[in-house]
Amino acid sequence: MMKNKRTNTPSGSRRSFLTWLIVAAAGLIGISLAVPLAGYVASPALKRRELRWVDAGPMDDLPVGEPTQRDLVMTITDGYMEVAAVKGIWALRLATNEVTVYSPICTHLGCGYRWDAGEKEFKCPCHGSVFDLNGKVVGGPAPRSLDRLPVKIENGHLLVQYKEFKSGTKQQIEI
Amino acid sequence: MLSRLYAWLDSRLKLEPVKETLLDEPIPGGASWIYVFGSATLFLFFLQAITGMFLAVYYAPTPDHAYDSIRYIETQVLFGPFVRGLHHWGASAMVVAIGLHMLQVFLYGAYKPPRELMWMVGVLLLLLTMGFAFTGYLLPWDQNAYWATQVGINMVGSVPFVGTFLVKVMRGGDTLGALTLSRFFAVHILFLPAAIMMLIALHMFILRRVGPAGPWSKERAAQRREAFYPRQVFMDAVVMLGVFLVVVLLALLVPFPLADKVNPSDHNFIPVPEWYFLFYYQFLKYMEGPVLGPIATWVLPGAFIALLLALPFLDPHHEREPASRPLVIGVGTVFLVGVFVLIGLSVRDLQAMKRTDPAVVSGRALYERFGCMGCHRIHGEGGAVGPDLSYVGDQRDRDWLIKHFRDPQSTSPGSIMPKFPLNEQELNDLTAYMLSLKKRV
Repeated sequence: MMKNKRTNTPSGSRRSFLTWLIVAAAGLIGISLAVPLAGYVASPALKRRELRWVDAGPMDDLPVGEPTQRDLVMTITDGYMEVAAVKGIWALRLATNEVTVYSPICTHLGCGYRWDAGEKEFKCPCHGSVFDLNGKVVGGPAPRSLDRLPVKIENGHLLVQYKEFKSGTKQQIEI
Repeated sequence: MLSRLYAWLDSRLKLEPVKETLLDEPIPGGASWIYVFGSATLFLFFLQAITGMFLAVYYAPTPDHAYDSIRYIETQVLFGPFVRGLHHWGASAMVVAIGLHMLQVFLYGAYKPPRELMWMVGVLLLLLTMGFAFTGYLLPWDQNAYWATQVGINMVGSVPFVGTFLVKVMRGGDTLGALTLSRFFAVHILFLPAAIMMLIALHMFILRRVGPAGPWSKERAAQRREAFYPRQVFMDAVVMLGVFLVVVLLALLVPFPLADKVNPSDHNFIPVPEWYFLFYYQFLKYMEGPVLGPIATWVLPGAFIALLLALPFLDPHHEREPASRPLVIGVGTVFLVGVFVLIGLSVRDLQAMKRTDPAVVSGRALYERFGCMGCHRIHGEGGAVGPDLSYVGDQRDRDWLIKHFRDPQSTSPGSIMPKFPLNEQELNDLTAYMLSLKKRV
């Protein structure tokens, strides 16, 4: 067909040069789209979680030496939504009036554990991990002590920064 | 490396004949810059498809979240305004590209036999693009989106016998709301893309079966013969890059802000359609009343589409040179001049229209944010503890208001109004809003 007729179609080095220009134009468009679009999709992953101090109630009625569960009522920013969330944390008032706050999530695989007042131990119902008053592992598969949360006391109120950590690792890794 | 990969694939998939079919298509008269608009349209369609997919990553098609999710894209997402800008300006560019493509085909008489089907599929593609524009406009769920869609849907209601039913189907019920938004979203991202991809494929298929039309003069067509690749592809690529750069610049330099969130009770809002609907918007203003109204809202649009579809059969002579087709070219020119005159008139009217000062809009938002209506009343809305502010702009001047907001006690001793923590910008905005509350605007 075409090949038999007189044709003005460029050939040889001129053809290769045009091919090179076409590929360059397509590549330029492709790269200028790919970079912003990749950033666009990855955007939420690049953001750091905002840490706020949340009121965990008054210090007065926190018993000394007995872990007490307190609710943290927080406003969590979930994308374009603001959602109220309640997290229960374990607060332990020491004789020195300092307070230790444990994350309510078992370091083994992320279940919620309980305080056994009779045996004076934290027990996880899922796989039987046991922690003592100081959060140390005394039994079961948990790889590390209970996670402690940043805490401060202001105007007689306990303020806590809620964080989450990776479960199942020996090292404490914040997520 | 690449050539070895190609050879490996070719030995298995026998690519060479495919490559020849795709690239060696002969163009009568040779490659030309006048043939680039179809490719530019196709490129813009792909750009819309890609940016649309990425917008859907964050968009939520419910009245509760649609507006907030777009505001999230605009304010929180990396490159969010850029991606949304590309989609917005890409739509406008696509309309321009389609307009130029149709104009070229019309001028060159390329719709004539044997290319009638290609033209008719093209007209359907134009209608689908309009469908994209109409359904996409509602998705941001801002005031402009809501009221413009309200107008668009109401026009369908003027169709006799089935109008009311059609309106209900489009809205998904009696009011424009959650069901409307989700069906517009589904149509915009699922139904229309499926339909347009099939018709684009058909359009290209017909093009490959009948071949490009080439120049209108037979002598010129016979003079040169050139394959589609590489010169026409090169021209297409240059134009695509140029179009892309223009859309990128518009997305970066001309922001496309959201209007206020939908407020169905605000009947004072005047929606303005996209520029490519302005000629029709202006035309509707002249066509009022029980007879002219329906003519403008459905009789003429219907007749126009029918005319476009039937054009190859109304003008079937094989002569393609514009000079030999005075009637068709004349009608086309009159139509085009009419469209541009209407766009010009509409732009003039819009510029003359009183626009709400952005400071007043921000001031009103502050008024709501600080809960001023807890104590004050404007046109019957709000508490009666403090003074009624319905016409405060007639009663107080700027200096008094600013002083008052800084320290209410300084201008109104004994006032129980608290000092609000306003910065200079907010102070000015709130004052601008107060001054706009007058008996006569």
